Amino acid sequence: MDEYKNTRRSQIRRMPAPERVMIPLSQHIGAPCTPCVAPGDTVTRGQVIGRTEGLGCPVHSSVSGVVREIAERHDARGRAVQTVCIDNDGHNTLCPDLAPYEGLLCEADPDRMIELIREAGIVGMGGAGFPAYAKISSARGKAELLIVNCAECEPFITANHRLLLENPASVINGAKILLKALGVTRGVLAVEDNKLDAANKLEQLLDGDQLLRVRVLKTKYPQGDERQLIYVLTGKQLPVGKLPADAGCVIFNAETCASVYQAFAHGMPVVERTVTVDGDCIANPKNVLVPIGTPIRDLIEFCGGYRAQPKKLLNGGPMMGQALHDPDSPVTKTTSAVLAFSEKFSPAPKEDYRCIRCGKCVQACPMHLMPIYLSQYLRAGNLEACLQYGANSCIECGCCTYICPGRVPIVQHIRVAKGKLREQKMAAEAAARRSEKEGKNGAK
Amino acid sequence: MEQNNQLLTVSPSPHLHSPVGTASIMGDVLIALTPALIWACYVFGMRALYLTLISVASCVLFELLYEKLLRKPVTVGDLSAAVTGVLIAFNLPVTVPIWLPVAGGFFAIVIAKQLFGGIGKNIVNPALAARVFLFSWPVDMTTFTTPVRDRFHSLFIKQDLDALATATPLSYLKEGKLPSEVQGGYQTIDLFIGNVPGVIGEVSALLLLIGFAYLCVRRVTTWHIPVAYIGTVALLTLVFAKGASVSFMLNELFAGGLFLGALFMANDYATSPVTPNGRVIYGIGCGLITVFLRYFGASAEGVSYAILIMNLLVYYIDRFTKPVRFGGKKHEKQ
Repeated sequence: MDEYKNTRRSQIRRMPAPERVMIPLSQHIGAPCTPCVAPGDTVTRGQVIGRTEGLGCPVHSSVSGVVREIAERHDARGRAVQTVCIDNDGHNTLCPDLAPYEGLLCEADPDRMIELIREAGIVGMGGAGFPAYAKISSARGKAELLIVNCAECEPFITANHRLLLENPASVINGAKILLKALGVTRGVLAVEDNKLDAANKLEQLLDGDQLLRVRVLKTKYPQGDERQLIYVLTGKQLPVGKLPADAGCVIFNAETCASVYQAFAHGMPVVERTVTVDGDCIANPKNVLVPIGTPIRDLIEFCGGYRAQPKKLLNGGPMMGQALHDPDSPVTKTTSAVLAFSEKFSPAPKEDYRCIRCGKCVQACPMHLMPIYLSQYLRAGNLEACLQYGANSCIECGCCTYICPGRVPIVQHIRVAKGKLREQKMAAEAAARRSEKEGKNGAK
Repeated sequence: MEQNNQLLTVSPSPHLHSPVGTASIMGDVLIALTPALIWACYVFGMRALYLTLISVASCVLFELLYEKLLRKPVTVGDLSAAVTGVLIAFNLPVTVPIWLPVAGGFFAIVIAKQLFGGIGKNIVNPALAARVFLFSWPVDMTTFTTPVRDRFHSLFIKQDLDALATATPLSYLKEGKLPSEVQGGYQTIDLFIGNVPGVIGEVSALLLLIGFAYLCVRRVTTWHIPVAYIGTVALLTLVFAKGASVSFMLNELFAGGLFLGALFMANDYATSPVTPNGRVIYGIGCGLITVFLRYFGASAEGVSYAILIMNLLVYYIDRFTKPVRFGGKKHEKQ
């Protein structure tokens, strides 16, 4: 597979905040936030604008200005999400409540650290968006190894690569803060060997550090997948349904670590992130530090607009990213790339696809599944067989579909199978609960 | 921003695709078969090319006709019918009448392939099914000619070739004789290079190997089936040799359709297993049946039937060799 790391030498440029930002109140896995500002309110940069009591963390304003409206908008994944629209006043006034962490790291209380990480709105910035505080709490006492995921295995994306080159200290320091919060004494920075310059830079900075080491991995999609990372670093294959903590590991993305550092050193919550803007339709592809909530249209304008009319606009990498239908969707905490492709570069799926049984999907599957049979059993309506053939182990990396000469949308078939299996399971559980209830009532 | 009002395509990931498609794979197979075809023209005359073109044309036409008549999407562009056409011709003696490849093309494309659902869905290899069907004309199918070069004049006239009818090395081996010891005196090297009587495409093990190497480099196919298949035949004919063991084994390997079968027909995508282990098992099975038929069967040959029989078991081999999934079994115990 071609890597297309065209922007590897493009220094991260800070984008001035646009006239208006649209900040979705759900940018993480878990409960959406409820707004704690109202239209007409004045907000400052870094001020909390939404909170949740459940799993999830606060959302902050990335600009100073006035809340214009709070309405449901489509986010980059196509979900309708409550979104706070803020008119930028251009003053960039900082929220007065923001303050760096004071005190020595070695004396820090982990519970307070975790609370601080939650307050800073830090989520998994590699794309998953799992709240970092929840990951730390659940991994404490179980994990023995912190893995900083600097693999960045998706084609095109170089945001982490640039971050590691330009601000490696923030990643290293963030990782050290996480080590302390986790109560773990060993950390690995996992870098693919297409980023040796970054690996060398980290090595230099670490200089024989006791806590953190750099491990250079083979460049191979999907190397940055949690299970693949754990396997190459520890030799353990994480079984289906288990979390990294069950293998003694906890994994954070490089930019997540940098955000942790920003929160502790400057008191700055997640209000911006690095995004790779690339694709054959972008006039000036580059890496950009973008305020959260910036409409993707404005971000593309910042990169010189379109060179040619795009047929596809992606949020994320080409292998696992989502195709956008609306260029006004905002950049969120989990947007690692914005890619604009022509029809020629990224052809639409073929309706008349045909499996020729070449078996390339079986060879390509990193989970050692038989994608060909999963796809066929789904189309035959045999969910039982999909389950037996391990549909639920699929990580949806897309390797099978990339390689398929017959252009069968295999991974989409597997996604459908997984969805149906999930529905089936939920229905079965609901039925079991009902009958249990009825049983109890009958006993009375 | 007016320019941005054109609609965007929304489709599921992945959004990149390997440039290798069915047509390019089949094109590679055609390229890989070309050296053997050129050799056939050299040793059997241009009639070899002529029959091959007729065979390819009839396969493509039958596929086109079938799909047009049944109003199905036309798939001749994927070149798989063309590959089938070449392989049918490769399985014919150069002296067959010209309607024979047409009949073979019909059987392969309509009966063996399309009636089962078209590309990827056929149970048995269409070209081999056609070959077995064409044995309904046994005299035509088993009249082999000695290789004589420069027979460009024999493009349309098969009488010249009929005069050169002879037995194949394989029929001597069946009787326990080495071809080098009998009339004609074909040495092992003649068998390897292809200086022997036989069907159009099978004679040169060397050129078939070169074509196969090309397919491996292009990652169109894997080594599993041919190595397991030829390895099994080698082992069995070495252990149960009739006469001098090593030269008997080598003669068994290079005579007949083993290389054509193992390199280009047993590993046909649609009719072979998809798992690496399954491919090895399947190859071993082909080898066992081939040697069994060559030793005890009515005919001297065994390759076609061996592959067809193993074709029927592919689904079960796949199921039996389902890979242990990542994090499965032994890792669950940890």
